[in-house]
Amino acid sequence: MTNIFKGCCLILAAFGALRAQQVIAPTDEGVGIARGENFANYNIVDSFELGYRWRMAGGSVDTYRSDANYGDGIRLLGSNLSINSKDGHGRWFDEILLSTSGLGNDPYQNASLRIQKNGLYRYDMLWREDDYYNPGLLISGGEHRMDTVRGLQDHSLTLFPQSHFQVEMGYSRNTETGPALSTVQGFDTLSSAFPVFENVKQQWNEYRIGVLADWGGFRFIARRTWDFYKDDSGYSFTGNETSGVATDATVLQQFQRSEPNHGSNPGWFGNLYGSRKHWALNARLTYNLGNGGFAMNELTTGLDRFGAADNRQIVVNGDAQRPVVAGDFSLSLFPTSRLTIVNNTAVHDSRIDGDSYFTEFDNGTGAATTLNFKFLGVRTVANSTDLNYRFSDWFSAYAGFTDSGRQIRFLEAFSIPSAAGSAVSDLYQQESHLNAGTVGVRFRPLQPLTINLEGEVGHADHPLTPMSDRNYHTLGGRIQYRKSKLQLSTGYRELYIENAPLSLTTYSSRSRQYNAAASFALRDWLTFDASYSKLHLDTVGGLAFFAGVQSPQLQTSYDSIYISNIHAANAGLRFGIRSRADLYLGYTITKDTGDGRASAAPAGVADPIATLLDSVQTFPLTYQSPMARLSIRITPKVRWNAGWQFYGYGELFHLLGYDQNFHAHTGYTSVLWSF
Amino acid sequence: MNRQAMILSMRCLLLTVMAACGAAQNSGAATAGGYVGSNACKTCHADIWLNFYKNPHFKSVASGDLPPSRAGCESCHGPGGAHLAAHGGKATIPNAFSAMPQAKALEVCLTCHARDFQKANIRRSEHTLAGVACTSCHSIHHAPTSKFLLAKKQTELCYGCHAGIRAQFEMPSKHRVNEGFMECSDCHNPHGAFAPTWRMSDHPRMVDQALNDEEPCLKCHVDKRGPFVYEHPPVRVEGCEVCHFPHASTNERLLRRPVVFTLCLGCHNGGASGTRNNGVPIQTSQHNLLDPRYQRCTTCHVRIHGSNVDETFLR
Repeated sequence: MTNIFKGCCLILAAFGALRAQQVIAPTDEGVGIARGENFANYNIVDSFELGYRWRMAGGSVDTYRSDANYGDGIRLLGSNLSINSKDGHGRWFDEILLSTSGLGNDPYQNASLRIQKNGLYRYDMLWREDDYYNPGLLISGGEHRMDTVRGLQDHSLTLFPQSHFQVEMGYSRNTETGPALSTVQGFDTLSSAFPVFENVKQQWNEYRIGVLADWGGFRFIARRTWDFYKDDSGYSFTGNETSGVATDATVLQQFQRSEPNHGSNPGWFGNLYGSRKHWALNARLTYNLGNGGFAMNELTTGLDRFGAADNRQIVVNGDAQRPVVAGDFSLSLFPTSRLTIVNNTAVHDSRIDGDSYFTEFDNGTGAATTLNFKFLGVRTVANSTDLNYRFSDWFSAYAGFTDSGRQIRFLEAFSIPSAAGSAVSDLYQQESHLNAGTVGVRFRPLQPLTINLEGEVGHADHPLTPMSDRNYHTLGGRIQYRKSKLQLSTGYRELYIENAPLSLTTYSSRSRQYNAAASFALRDWLTFDASYSKLHLDTVGGLAFFAGVQSPQLQTSYDSIYISNIHAANAGLRFGIRSRADLYLGYTITKDTGDGRASAAPAGVADPIATLLDSVQTFPLTYQSPMARLSIRITPKVRWNAGWQFYGYGELFHLLGYDQNFHAHTGYTSVLWSF
Repeated sequence: MNRQAMILSMRCLLLTVMAACGAAQNSGAATAGGYVGSNACKTCHADIWLNFYKNPHFKSVASGDLPPSRAGCESCHGPGGAHLAAHGGKATIPNAFSAMPQAKALEVCLTCHARDFQKANIRRSEHTLAGVACTSCHSIHHAPTSKFLLAKKQTELCYGCHAGIRAQFEMPSKHRVNEGFMECSDCHNPHGAFAPTWRMSDHPRMVDQALNDEEPCLKCHVDKRGPFVYEHPPVRVEGCEVCHFPHASTNERLLRRPVVFTLCLGCHNGGASGTRNNGVPIQTSQHNLLDPRYQRCTTCHVRIHGSNVDETFLR
């Protein structure tokens, strides 16, 4: 029996070895011993880890907060509770599972709960809260900041979960609240943008009820859902702010916007499943009627681009609808025990329309009224067939073919007679067909060794965007060796989208991924794992834009090039010290070497447009994070833990002049009680 | 530690003796089809039986009204009569999962689990095509937690094969998976999913749909869901990943490019694509790209995911 116990410890240690490096806390619970106390007819296992977390950050703390975001303070770093009925016949419940992480002000907090009684009910709850910080970095000129809290929760109750007739009920909620900065243009589309305060208040609630029934060898599921969305974010600005641009005399003096947007999405969901010895079918149908009602009142006062006093009021109200139907029908055939054929047909249809009454007042002259209306309809029908054949226990192969057709209809600037100056209707229609074929083989020459090779080639005749798949292929392979104490794997995958010859209408992208990983449990007290990946991406596309030193001219002779070569590695080493202590050392690094250049724009380029485009072609950086964690057994039920983790982020070129580099030390100390 | 081990050993020993007594009474009681019942199994496999009441499969035992073919050990491992008669041995277990081809292991599990809605598309999932079977991820008897019986924490399981994805989640801008805020299954269904309702409905096959039929991103980012009077067509047609990397990126906000104008101009170049058949509109002549104001498109086009009041997404 002692061997069994040792074996269990070894398994736990091996699991520990294979753990990916996580953030520094909570402490890995695998270091404990088998636990549990009996109470009445239940077995109870409990643990919780209480500690203090600290950080010291330098450089761009904003960037640190948008990345790791751990702060100082006392935390319930983690907890786990399980209560199980020993005979499966508890009075009120047979199982309770509760786990939490980061409670007490970590930026990422979550809790999950399951309570169930066999045959009678099952309740699942998931709660999460994310402290979302976005410092508004270079993509918006540093002007879009957010410091919000996003809360997510989901409750699901199933009645009679093991019977042929089940009832499901659920409720989900998603909220985001907090301060933010957005931007608004002054008085016309050519003026500068000014930051305005935004009070984010978004809320989404979903209610659902459904039934599941088994009858005649088939399973039916029907579910009704209602979800409601509210965005009552408000925008305001008070003061005098100039554009800071010599050619733009705009001064924003006052800005106020109210923009309530309330919507609902009542929907239906149905599923049918049935199977026999030689076939199985699976069908799904969903319908969602999305709609939203909105109104906006925006008032701006100040000086316009030419320095004249101006004020503007924009009033908009209307609604938007989006009925969506999606259906799938899948038929599986098993003519022999070695062959599986699956044919799947999928249909998706959505229509987006709405009416929007747009009124823009110049309060001085009472000018301009425009009414616009848009329609976007998307219908896709796809059919795919897969064959999967097992030639022997060690060799099998599969192949598949997909045919997909999509129609997009787009209506712009719908004319309303009552709106003077509105444009005539423009209806566009685009159809695209995609054909793709897949083939793959699997080898298992030895029980622990598996080899997979696969490839796919596809063509779409009219993709929506230049970046979409037009002519593409993928190649991939993976070799994996898995034993209880040793795991080795390596893989390769490439995706080429070749839309050559290069022109304005084409775009080419080549991505290649190489990876290798190893995990090794050398002893029950020494384990090691490491992995390395290289992610290569290069793209080139045609550009058309206006630019010029004196006056902007249409430029079509430049290309958009982007090259990324990311090397990512991590390693972890775990020591068990005489069953008394557990030490983990880990290191991760992500390094984008770009295309190897030493400066953002090559020296000697006189053309300012070429200089600008050269400077955004590659983005070398280094991001690394070493960590150490020590856990010492004080008593069989109490452990003391401490850890340290460093984050170092360094960009080489400081794109667009922003310095976002940071370094931060974080750590924690805690006590883990286990019962 | 020694005292704990001794107590545990004594408990196991006692249980073994008791189970052996029970098995002695049942050993000759093989029913039709060779089923002997779980009581016979725990005679020798006391280490497994000791904690089996914490296993979700224990429900079949607790119900008390299921035949041996659908309850306890033999519902998965097959009739144990021959194994009992031979006094053990892996070769006499009809379904010994550690020695079975993965395809056969899948079939055994699907005997009961095929009807689970989450597994409705398992026959055409990429995992099944690649030979990944249930036992590749699930550990029925040694799972650290009884919920879903995963052999390890979910992210570690997925990283075990998808090392390239693991590398992505260690980038500076990422979804918080390693931090424990999210899990892979928030967006993916490892058992296979319905055809995507975005792109051309072809791939991927393992991205789950949220809100009945939408891209899973919208489950959390509901403010991007709309409907909007003015949709940005690529968002609705091609999906979020036309501009964003879904897992992580070295670029902020998971963007595919570090500087936003290179992303926007990639489509807005007047080429022959787009909904108009004559190209996605290019910028107006007033947008001088050499002016820094026009290099940060979303500073003015703040509602780039869709707007109710402005067709150029200015508000």
